[in-house]
Amino acid sequence: MAGERGHPNYVAVWFWLVGLMVTSVAISQLPFSKSATDVVIFAIAGVKAVLVALNFMHLRFERLLIYSLAIVPLLLFFILTAVLFPDIASH
Amino acid sequence: MSQTHAIETQTETLSGAAIPSGRLGVWWFLASEIVLFGGLIGTFILFRHGNPEWVAAAEHLSLAIGTVNTLVLLTSSLTIVLAFAAVDKGDSRRMRTWLFLTILLGLVFLSIKAFEWSTEIGAGFIPSTGGFWSFYYAMTGLHALHVMAGIVINTILFISAVLDRLKPHEYRIELAGLYWHFVDIVWIFLFPLLYLA
Repeated sequence: MAGERGHPNYVAVWFWLVGLMVTSVAISQLPFSKSATDVVIFAIAGVKAVLVALNFMHLRFERLLIYSLAIVPLLLFFILTAVLFPDIASH
Repeated sequence: MSQTHAIETQTETLSGAAIPSGRLGVWWFLASEIVLFGGLIGTFILFRHGNPEWVAAAEHLSLAIGTVNTLVLLTSSLTIVLAFAAVDKGDSRRMRTWLFLTILLGLVFLSIKAFEWSTEIGAGFIPSTGGFWSFYYAMTGLHALHVMAGIVINTILFISAVLDRLKPHEYRIELAGLYWHFVDIVWIFLFPLLYLA
């Protein structure tokens, strides 16, 4: 199990997660354009999710099958949202 | 360590590599959960883009409460992974401590959420108030149900550990942790969607 796969520095990962959370809150309060702020905020959320998945869920030590189980539904989510976006979002 | 996981069955992949069945099963389950939350979040994104006036509704949410709750859930992810690390080191006492803290933090998260909901409902914001509030209660409600389920699972594991019945099944801490981290990841996206954007 993970003993064979190693344990990352979990506390350091937590500090990164908290730092990124504080950064995204601070950015949301700055007087930049809404769309630019949103892009940065969601990019930070993506980085946080990847940090949790790779380190806390040990995805970095997993095999291809587990990766595909995580990635295929995510791809479906992105494709479905992107395909529907022009129709629903503009009406 | 080898004894701890001795009874966990293995599933062979096409390449012949073995993956513990429990871990594989949880990842399959999480894949279905991604579709569940993905559908809800994707629909919210679409409607949110088509309804710019929802920004005004979102401003009624408390950023401070949302931020504190995010910190609580991130910290609970740390405590449960430390519980699993303790299992790997054969330190059952420390594992119980981290698991107990995870349960406690889950309860803190739910208590803060309940306070937040009661404040919003008291201010007249109920699901029928508008589209934003329907999504808000649906998404945070579904997420809270998942947190509750996680607390139940962690509590069962904790009681088993206290009764000294978890020893041959301690790998289940990792499986419970996978689920708990997923619930954390969902919140990582709900937080900016509802409170920041």
